[in-house]
Amino acid sequence: MTTTAPSRQAPPAGPAQHGTPPVVPRWRRRLRPYLLSVPAVAIIIGILYPFFLGVYYAFLNYSAVNPNPVLVGFDNFRSVLSDPEFWTSVRVTATYAFVATGLETVLGIGIALLLNRSSIVGRIFEKVLILPLMIAPVIAAVIWKLMFNPQFGVLNHVLGLGSTFDWLSRDRALWSTILVDLWIYTPFVAILVLAGLRSLPKEPFEASEVDGAGWFYMFRRLMLPMMWPYILVAVIFRLMDCLKIFDIVYVLTAGGPGDATRTLQVGAFEDSITNLNYSRGSTYMFLLWILVFAVARYLVSVLGKAQRRAAGAEG
Amino acid sequence: MATEIKPGRKRLTLGSVGADLLLVFWFVFSLFPIAWMVLLALKTDTEQTTTYFAFSPTFDNFGTVMSQRGTDLTSVDFAGALVSSVLNCGGAVLVSLLIGIPAAYAAGRWKYRGSEDLMFQMLSFRFAPELMVVVPLFVIYNQTGLFDTTYGMIWVLQLVTMPLVVWILRSYFQDLSAELEQAALLDGYTRRRAFVMVALPLVRPGIAAAALLAFIFAWNNYVFPLILTDSNATTVTVAVTKFLGGGGQAYYNLTAAAALIGALPPLLLALTIQRYLVRGLSFGAVKA
Amino acid sequence: MATLEITGVTTRYGKVVGVEDLDLSVGDGEFFVVLGPSGAGKTTTLKSVAGLVDIDAGRVAIAGRDLTGVEPYHRNVAMAFESYALYPQKTVFENLASPLRSGRTGSYSKADQERRIELVTTTLGINHLLQRFPRELSNGQRQRVALGRVLVRPADVYLLDEPLSHLDAKLRAAMRAELKQLGEESNTTALYVTHDYQEALDLGERIAVLRHGRLVQVGTPEQIWREPADTFVAKALGQPEINLLDAVVDDGSLVGAGAGGAVAVPVPAGLDLAAGERVRLGIRPRDIDRAGPDDRPAPGHLAVRGRVHLAERLGRLVELAVHVGDTELIMVASSDHAAEEGDLVDLHVDLADVHVFAAGAPGEDTPRLGGGVPRQRRPAEEPATGRAR
Repeated sequence: MTTTAPSRQAPPAGPAQHGTPPVVPRWRRRLRPYLLSVPAVAIIIGILYPFFLGVYYAFLNYSAVNPNPVLVGFDNFRSVLSDPEFWTSVRVTATYAFVATGLETVLGIGIALLLNRSSIVGRIFEKVLILPLMIAPVIAAVIWKLMFNPQFGVLNHVLGLGSTFDWLSRDRALWSTILVDLWIYTPFVAILVLAGLRSLPKEPFEASEVDGAGWFYMFRRLMLPMMWPYILVAVIFRLMDCLKIFDIVYVLTAGGPGDATRTLQVGAFEDSITNLNYSRGSTYMFLLWILVFAVARYLVSVLGKAQRRAAGAEG
Repeated sequence: MATEIKPGRKRLTLGSVGADLLLVFWFVFSLFPIAWMVLLALKTDTEQTTTYFAFSPTFDNFGTVMSQRGTDLTSVDFAGALVSSVLNCGGAVLVSLLIGIPAAYAAGRWKYRGSEDLMFQMLSFRFAPELMVVVPLFVIYNQTGLFDTTYGMIWVLQLVTMPLVVWILRSYFQDLSAELEQAALLDGYTRRRAFVMVALPLVRPGIAAAALLAFIFAWNNYVFPLILTDSNATTVTVAVTKFLGGGGQAYYNLTAAAALIGALPPLLLALTIQRYLVRGLSFGAVKA
Repeated sequence: MATLEITGVTTRYGKVVGVEDLDLSVGDGEFFVVLGPSGAGKTTTLKSVAGLVDIDAGRVAIAGRDLTGVEPYHRNVAMAFESYALYPQKTVFENLASPLRSGRTGSYSKADQERRIELVTTTLGINHLLQRFPRELSNGQRQRVALGRVLVRPADVYLLDEPLSHLDAKLRAAMRAELKQLGEESNTTALYVTHDYQEALDLGERIAVLRHGRLVQVGTPEQIWREPADTFVAKALGQPEINLLDAVVDDGSLVGAGAGGAVAVPVPAGLDLAAGERVRLGIRPRDIDRAGPDDRPAPGHLAVRGRVHLAERLGRLVELAVHVGDTELIMVASSDHAAEEGDLVDLHVDLADVHVFAAGAPGEDTPRLGGGVPRQRRPAEEPATGRAR
């Protein structure tokens, strides 16, 4: 074209058309993403190695006192599964996970709905909301442990419970740790749901309000289906994390008193690190891993369905 | 109650007042422990066991915590733990970025056999019980001399930082139109130059968010340093718990001061990336 | 500056076909238009040429050189994307300078770059926007920047993907004229994609019509307009759409069904049709003339009388729906002798303008029967101006 005329008349400036351009065979182009992923795959393999080693340990009788282990087949599983302490751990873990996740979900949705009413208040409170979430759970547990102290802790003083009320007693310890979990992680559910609420289209709600629909009807029929994916993402993250809860419990109670808060990971820690019985700890972990994996699989498939349905509801 | 759905239209009803009260309650609940931590950290040794709010504040505790104090319980090198934390987490994030950015780009840009498997393998690390990996690593590290070293920590922290970096950045690369890079290719730039010139600058916010969030989570991690370090490469989270002491005299004010110091970096970082927090926390699943 | 050969190219996205078994041969310096509805594979065609997508079969050659496996940056082609694909973090000037700075389109001094950019942006009317960022531009301005990024550099082939689609009507007409002039003066081969038939007829030296990733017809604008290969092409050109009437062969005539024998056209020479065979007649609305009640049809013309059922005023022109028996004919008349609804009108159609297609179910596309009918007129002026006199 006219604009290109200058260089056309001065061909030496011409670039690629002189000489044969290099040819990149199809297989090498196909290889490109794989090459980019090689280091990441190396990391994955590096992490999977100890993982599989852990699975292997579960079939050995490996411990610090027995440094030359031999394969014992399913002995560890038999012994762990017939140990009432293991089943206590399962019960404690399940109670912790479902109670904490359930309450956090309900509370989180509630807080999100309340914050969504006013954008200004919402944005300011949001900053406060994320504070507990960003503090290391261990540090949060340390703070709460100070507050829980019957004599010197601030909670009994403020709530007027005297100096003998023990938050971490055998009966109350599990609920107190769940309380700390709520303190930390309810905001997680809340900010995810809040993000979802803010992304909702306005038209369907205005239309159904014109139609005279009540608040609860709109919440159930319109908002909940569209919010399901967001809620489910939050639930998945919370449930998975709760099933393997360790740090909060370990700092607050170290699994005690007795075995009142001995979750599966805390139990595994006791076995493999405290008692240096690696095989028994690994067996615990392997069983927990199967549980987590199964729950994750199920929830992710539910999430996929919900996302498709929500896309339909919005479209 | 319809006001709850539609922002901007607020009516002063019994319901909305009740709702506000609930919010206020939650924020008292949320802030009280943090406020208490700050108060406690400012108390003197003689006041530390009181539960009163009136006291004569002192900043000595922070100094005491930072300078190693060889009493019965605080044989903790807290300043050293701070340095270790920075080194461990910084190193881990750096490695994750170097390795994760190309992988995230590949997974976000192309559909290729195994890309989904790779991504889900990454995600499974996020959800795997840590001890499953740490127990064997404890044995391996003791045999190879990686126990209680920064390198050992950088390696194991990949479990925390890598999935975060790869998943968040993949969602950013997916949002980026491939045609921008295609235009650069036709402008005469190689793929690498097109990536550096076009894609990289546009996902910079995503990289910053992923890096900072990964740093926060690495910083907040407890299990790995608890088991895989001793005094040399131990981190703030482990150091803070040591102030609780085991049986000896407890120093509440020092514990609170240490907790405050340990909690501060993540809090400050989190506030700087607040806009990207939701997307990061949900691994890119929720785009806010 | 180069020929472009596309031979048997098939490009798939997973199971979805982009283009299938496509053959195109574009001459050196030719301005070649690819026309088709959305999803026809137009953009895929361009990206296959540019090397931005992997082709699954066939080959692309520029200047006789096979480009299979050659990276896009070694192909020396420039492309304007429909999405503009402007670099958001760069100003308009930097966007336009980008191809000049890569070192693969030639080497340019700073002054060279500025001169070229100045020239192109002046032509495109965006030289006052050089320091803006793409987000600060209207869609029309962005589109011109995208076009500028192509024109600013030399290339063997320009690939233009709907480069005028987001301009407003007035600007589009002006830019079309500008592009036409550039196309005539330049010796750069251009592959121009559009869904707008007027653009195609106006700009293309030749046109290829695509549907569902397959090539339907290639030809000059005249050929495409005069002898559409099938009803799809016939319907794609012209607004309002061509009238399609079912007809049967009866005693050497093609008699329109449902028109009470009023529409009867002699079977064109060279068309071998048995009595009773079913066909479709195609008559473009603009090829139908309004005649006075006493005008005798000129030789070689079809004359029918019908009743105006609907008259829709479109500015200077009026679109009339005329009922002839049970058949509806759409025509366009100039508004100064417009008919009222209910009026009886006489219509004349040059038999040379009657297209014959194979019979088919409604909505099904069927091929043209026989070759062409003798031409006397240049058709290029037709679509834009109409023929109402």
